[in-house]
Amino acid sequence: MAEVKFSNITKKFNENVVLNGLNAEIRDHEFVVIIGPSGCGKTTLLRMLAGLEEITGGEIRIDGVLVNNMHPSKRQIAMVFQDYALYPHMTVEENMSFALRLRKAPKAEIEQRVSEAASILQLTKLLKRMPKQLSGGQRQRVAIGRAIVRKPKAFLFDEPLSNLDAKLREEMRVEIAKLYQRLDATIIYVTHDQVEAMTLASRIMVMNHGVIQQVGAPIEVYRKPANLFVAGFIGSPTMNFIHGRLAAEGGKLYLKNESLSLLIPSFLLSGTAEHDGREVVAGVRPDDVLAGSAAHEPNKKYSEKLEGVLEVSELLGHRENLYLKVGQTRVLATVEAFFNQSPGSGVALRFNYENMHIFDKASTKRIND
Amino acid sequence: MNKESVVHKRKKAVKYLLIHLALIAAAAACVYPLLRILSVSIRPGDKLISTDLSLIPDGATFAAYARLLKETLFLRWLWNSLLITVSTSFIGVSLASTAAYAFSRFRFAGKRSGLVLLLSTQMIPAGMLILPLFLMIMKLGLMNTYLGIIIAYSVSSLPFSIWILKGYYDTIPRSLEEAALVDGTSQLGAFYRIILPLSTPALSIAFLFNFTTAWNEYLVARVVLFSSQQYTWTLGLFELQGQYITQWGMFAAGSMLVTAPVLAVFLYSSKWLISGLTLGSVKG
Amino acid sequence: MDILYSIYEILWFALIVVTGIALIEGCCYYHFRFHDRPWFIPAALAVLPASGAAGCLALGLVAEPVKPFLWLLGSEALIALFFKYVVKGRNTLPYLLLAPAFIGLALLLVYPFVFEIYLSFHDLKLTTIMAWKNTGSLPFVGLRQYADVFTTSPLSEVTFWALLGRTLWWTFINVFFHVAGGFALALLLNNNIRFKGFYRTLLIIPWAMPQVVAVLAMRGEFHSQYGFINIMLVKLAAAWPFLAHLGLGPAQWLSNYPLTTCTLINVWLGIPFMMVVILGGLQSISSSYYDAADIDGASYFQKLRFITLPLIRPVLMPAVTLGTVWTFNNINVIYLVTGQSGGTERADILVSALYKAAFTYNRYSYSAAFAIVIFAMLFFISVFYLKSFDAAKEDR
Repeated sequence: MAEVKFSNITKKFNENVVLNGLNAEIRDHEFVVIIGPSGCGKTTLLRMLAGLEEITGGEIRIDGVLVNNMHPSKRQIAMVFQDYALYPHMTVEENMSFALRLRKAPKAEIEQRVSEAASILQLTKLLKRMPKQLSGGQRQRVAIGRAIVRKPKAFLFDEPLSNLDAKLREEMRVEIAKLYQRLDATIIYVTHDQVEAMTLASRIMVMNHGVIQQVGAPIEVYRKPANLFVAGFIGSPTMNFIHGRLAAEGGKLYLKNESLSLLIPSFLLSGTAEHDGREVVAGVRPDDVLAGSAAHEPNKKYSEKLEGVLEVSELLGHRENLYLKVGQTRVLATVEAFFNQSPGSGVALRFNYENMHIFDKASTKRIND
Repeated sequence: MNKESVVHKRKKAVKYLLIHLALIAAAAACVYPLLRILSVSIRPGDKLISTDLSLIPDGATFAAYARLLKETLFLRWLWNSLLITVSTSFIGVSLASTAAYAFSRFRFAGKRSGLVLLLSTQMIPAGMLILPLFLMIMKLGLMNTYLGIIIAYSVSSLPFSIWILKGYYDTIPRSLEEAALVDGTSQLGAFYRIILPLSTPALSIAFLFNFTTAWNEYLVARVVLFSSQQYTWTLGLFELQGQYITQWGMFAAGSMLVTAPVLAVFLYSSKWLISGLTLGSVKG
Repeated sequence: MDILYSIYEILWFALIVVTGIALIEGCCYYHFRFHDRPWFIPAALAVLPASGAAGCLALGLVAEPVKPFLWLLGSEALIALFFKYVVKGRNTLPYLLLAPAFIGLALLLVYPFVFEIYLSFHDLKLTTIMAWKNTGSLPFVGLRQYADVFTTSPLSEVTFWALLGRTLWWTFINVFFHVAGGFALALLLNNNIRFKGFYRTLLIIPWAMPQVVAVLAMRGEFHSQYGFINIMLVKLAAAWPFLAHLGLGPAQWLSNYPLTTCTLINVWLGIPFMMVVILGGLQSISSSYYDAADIDGASYFQKLRFITLPLIRPVLMPAVTLGTVWTFNNINVIYLVTGQSGGTERADILVSALYKAAFTYNRYSYSAAFAIVIFAMLFFISVFYLKSFDAAKEDR
């Protein structure tokens, strides 16, 4: 299997710089998900690794071998395309065996590998069909099967589930997870869907504007976002951001803005005086906001009680989203259903200090640990 | 049922009746000349010159066909046309298929100007190039040969074919070739194994277009070919349909023999042929 | 035996084409691949011109190889420098793919065009053609051919200006009836009626028939005695004598009204294409517009005026442009109707006169100049037209 190393990768389309000096490393047997909004350069990076896009500057190494100018097929990778790219004029079997036939592999071996891959993916009955006779999920499986047959060092997935409907996407996600356990291969998976990233990845690589924002295990990226972008991008519903200025008063630190004043305890952010006057953004996930009667009893782990007004509530089933307003600051809280208060009424709320994140406004970097 | 809806229905029926009448009249005007040729071709020799308008003449006979095949070089002309046309179309389509691929898939200096050049060649009146082509063919000593006429024909439909094929290639997703590249073909291999097999409809349209253009060509053939051994059928028929009506029957028989297959192919493939042709020409 | 010989000739031709393409590709590949080697230019200069000149000699194109050798040497030097310092081996594959097609176009479209310009400044006619064929030299006459175009008749009596007027009239009348007829038929066909496909098939027959057959057959129908047209006219006049009093009767179509005959034939030929294009346009208009207009209370003609016409404009305009150029350049119909020996010149338009001047009267250089004049006219008209088209586009 394979290790992949990107060093100092740059990519320009004419004058348009897409990647500028990107460094990253993917370890053997790792399932790395590259996630980011569209246009962030994630697909470009994957296509450069596959050899489909020219490398403007920097080096890509697979297992220590420089592949910058290597033909895609020599890199021993397999790619699953967003639109599957099944050859419409070939049967499923021919699609899967195409690469092996090009390499003039022995017939017996081709047959054996195709039938093996087909049985893994439950495609055995479909081998003689043409791609257009298949459903979306089946096509997706053929595309994956085509990759498996080649026994590559690394699998590259380019948003493979984005053309499927919600239910199928869930099923295929589980299939891919199973497949990873079975193949134990290096997988590099590009997506913009954070659920896929959270569920599949051993490590997530968050990208924006051609720059890697954070690399880490899913839980790490979720619990300790390195900057405002990651904090806002990962997690649904989106994290609440409270903009304000830190003020040191009587040996204690407060986050203040026109509508609220929030004590920042020292276990959250150490140091007092040196932070005085600093513009910051505090982030709290909606799940970490206590609202209503639960917020009435004091709790050391939570902030002091704030008074908000309920604007709208959305019932999701077992949970309920509360859109609250504290002065001019909007706060979203997700609580257990049913929340028996009508819009316009006052709601008490507290923030969970243990899952609060403080970011410097200027650098957008996280400053608590 | 109230009165209004009865009136409405009657109005509608009258409208459709008028539409059908108009279309029948137009269709008759389109088909009648063809039927007339057919009828003339089966007239017996002594009634060839007549003012009779009935479509199936008394004593209908295929004598004109027999005479045409026996007394003239008609088969030879057909053979000549076929050879010339197939060679021309083959060259035209193969050159166009690769050139269109370059235009569809690559970015390179001069791409835009190349496309503009292609379009602007369509503005040069065909009649204008006959003279220099004729002189070149003469200078090369290729008068009255297949070679001369094929050379003259081979590039005439090239810009149009390139345009049609480029349009079609553009609709094939790039990821197919990329998958093929990853699977181990070269760029040319991807073209040959993926794009060409997928483009059969467009290739057939281009081939048919090249074929019909060359098959029906008259003006260049007129000046390059001068011995009746080398004539294409267009030249042959023009000779048969002389100033006087003596060979009218044989002309009609020849016309039928030439028209029937062309018409059959055209009508059979009309649905996609027309969409391809009008699309290509109108977009161009 | 004959057939064997013709197959042999075709195989020989195939061999030439394949070798030609291989040579082109080889040369291109050499220039792309080795542009940065130190021996690139010397090797190119040594091998290519010499083998090219030898090839010319072997094919019998020239008597002695010095002149082509020098030509090739000069152009090869330029080409090699161009590849070394400008192209630098970039975009190899697309250029290799394009090379055969574009060299073909250059040799058979661009070179003839340039050659035509050359001819128009010289004097090539029946008396000088043998000398030209043997020695390749022609007397230079400057602009005389151009002056002749405007002052003398290309044929025997009709003048350039008369031809120009006739051409414009011919183009206008034909395109007008093509569009009007095509539009009417397309509107009829666009109803939800029975046998629609059948009508459509019959209606495209004039377009589907080989043009030579169609024109010659129609020409037969205009024969003064045995053509359908005159037979019908005679019968009509016999059935209703008052028509005959109004002047209706058989006519010598081909000799007395050749232009009318040609126009009738060409209108008949050209309607189906327009019909198909317009029908395609009509079918692409979503019926919801008509539903909306019905609710707004629009009459049939209001719908035609405010919905159909504006919405098929994008389809119609290019088709009309193309149809105009085709009609302007239509030699076929006129030549096939009037081209026999002793044929009239009263139906000739510019392009057919050009063809006859070159190949009936053998005035080669004259017709070259004539062709350049026609081309220049077409060129300026289209530039002007495209400009106004662009301007109209920007207005919207």
